[in-house]
Amino acid sequence: MRGVGVRLSREIAIIGAGMTRFHHKLHADKTSRELFVKAALEARGSVDNGFELPEVEALFVGNFSSDAFEGQIHMAALAADWLGICPRAATRVEDACASSGVAMNVASMAIASGAYDIVMVGGVEKMRGLRTEEVTDTLAMAADAVYEVGAGFTFPGLFAALASAHFAKHGSNWEQLAAISIKNHHNGALNPKAHFQSEIMETARKLGERNDMTFEDELEFLRSPLNPVIAHPLRLFDCCPVSDGAAVLILAAGDVARKFTDTPVYIRGIGQASDTLALHDRVDLTTMNAAKIAAAQAYEIAWVKAKDIDVADVHDCFTIAELLATEDLGFFPKGEGGLAAENGRTALDGDVTVNPDGGLKAKGHPIGATGAAMAYEIFKQLRGEAGRHQVDDVEYGLTHNMGGSGATVSVQVYGR
Amino acid sequence: MAEFTSKSYFDFLEEGRIMGSKCMSCGTVHLPPRPICHDCGATEMEWTELGGEGVVQAVTVINVPLSKMEGRCPYAVAVVKLDDCPSISGLVHGVKEGGELSIGDRVVAEFVKEGDKTTLCFRSS
Repeated sequence: MRGVGVRLSREIAIIGAGMTRFHHKLHADKTSRELFVKAALEARGSVDNGFELPEVEALFVGNFSSDAFEGQIHMAALAADWLGICPRAATRVEDACASSGVAMNVASMAIASGAYDIVMVGGVEKMRGLRTEEVTDTLAMAADAVYEVGAGFTFPGLFAALASAHFAKHGSNWEQLAAISIKNHHNGALNPKAHFQSEIMETARKLGERNDMTFEDELEFLRSPLNPVIAHPLRLFDCCPVSDGAAVLILAAGDVARKFTDTPVYIRGIGQASDTLALHDRVDLTTMNAAKIAAAQAYEIAWVKAKDIDVADVHDCFTIAELLATEDLGFFPKGEGGLAAENGRTALDGDVTVNPDGGLKAKGHPIGATGAAMAYEIFKQLRGEAGRHQVDDVEYGLTHNMGGSGATVSVQVYGR
Repeated sequence: MAEFTSKSYFDFLEEGRIMGSKCMSCGTVHLPPRPICHDCGATEMEWTELGGEGVVQAVTVINVPLSKMEGRCPYAVAVVKLDDCPSISGLVHGVKEGGELSIGDRVVAEFVKEGDKTTLCFRSS
């Protein structure tokens, strides 16, 4: 079945963006509402010509499962309450790990429809209140609870299975996944908002000292017992960490955006598609069909092609997910994503920079906040404000946010 | 006739039978059973019994478990394509290390009763 694209009948601009640092300890004393408020205040402060929160006409909040993590639902109204913007309409969006990427699309459509001129959209997750096994259980809720989780699959297990299928069909390998991890940790080390801000070799030296081991290079460390197998072939450094955090954008219709800033970033195209929740119901286990369709929609609306994208934030919840995304988004032919990463083609100075902020791998993945945090990064990149991980000559950016093991994918294309 | 639900699917497993739904319009077989055809959209279905042999399409060995599987690691889970068409996920018994089971390896179904629920598992054949 073909996807159905969305036409955007008004220009949509990002005029401000803010995010907390993503971290596992830093926000121990805060709840989701406080994280969201912190990111929203930073977004307000980032609007060049000033912005007051009551100018927000509607609020959209991506949130995966504050239900399980905090015993709190109704996150959007709670955020509106603590931002002091009641009675503005506040809507929570839940599409698993793609919650705030989808919220970005919903917010864009809310402006494009003419319903609102200025909306706030963001995401938040506070995950560190639970034990690891409980987090594993909660994450698995994004898969088919009856037929996949019931069969014993964990969330890392599903991506490990996808890796096994890709390795077998396309000859890709774990060393290529390691290259993605090394690259994303390198980028994260340059990003003050990232959860992990150290190169893998730095971590290897520290952990090595503690365990009386030395390592010649990254691969030797990544092959060692200090990088344990989580779900074969994926090891710890193939998996994103569990983090707390929030990210918030302020969007405005093109005709009002210039009042707030001379350098808005425009959302030129959006796309979204679904797929079966269960992997076993898919025809091809080496492709995320929803990503291909969502990207095709976004490219068509934005009048760009994959080769025009200079910088992309893609959903690397696991290293194999970045490999798949770079193929499904059309950056590289199917089967060549791993080799491209290994050859540095997705590095900060590569053909298309992928995850300059460290990606989910190093930046962290407070699930509901991830799609919005991707948009934050691309906003900064297109304005030349990304700091030490700024990519040169950025004309077009892209964000790719994936829910579950690919059952939801949202894509946005950005330009100046 | 039993409804095409997960309850029916597990009830059949309890009897040692793998039952899917077959589209009466285009013949596509669905496992787990579902009431609307994935292929043609028709809603007339009939039950069809499937054999328990198939090949591994994707596989992993899990070391960090769900809470319900604590103490059982490492264990293997695979997506298995049954010879009579659809694929399904299941534990693969007797596999303890990554690489022991490869894509394309043949497996056969086992019905495992735990508590009051029977699940579909596999073993190398």
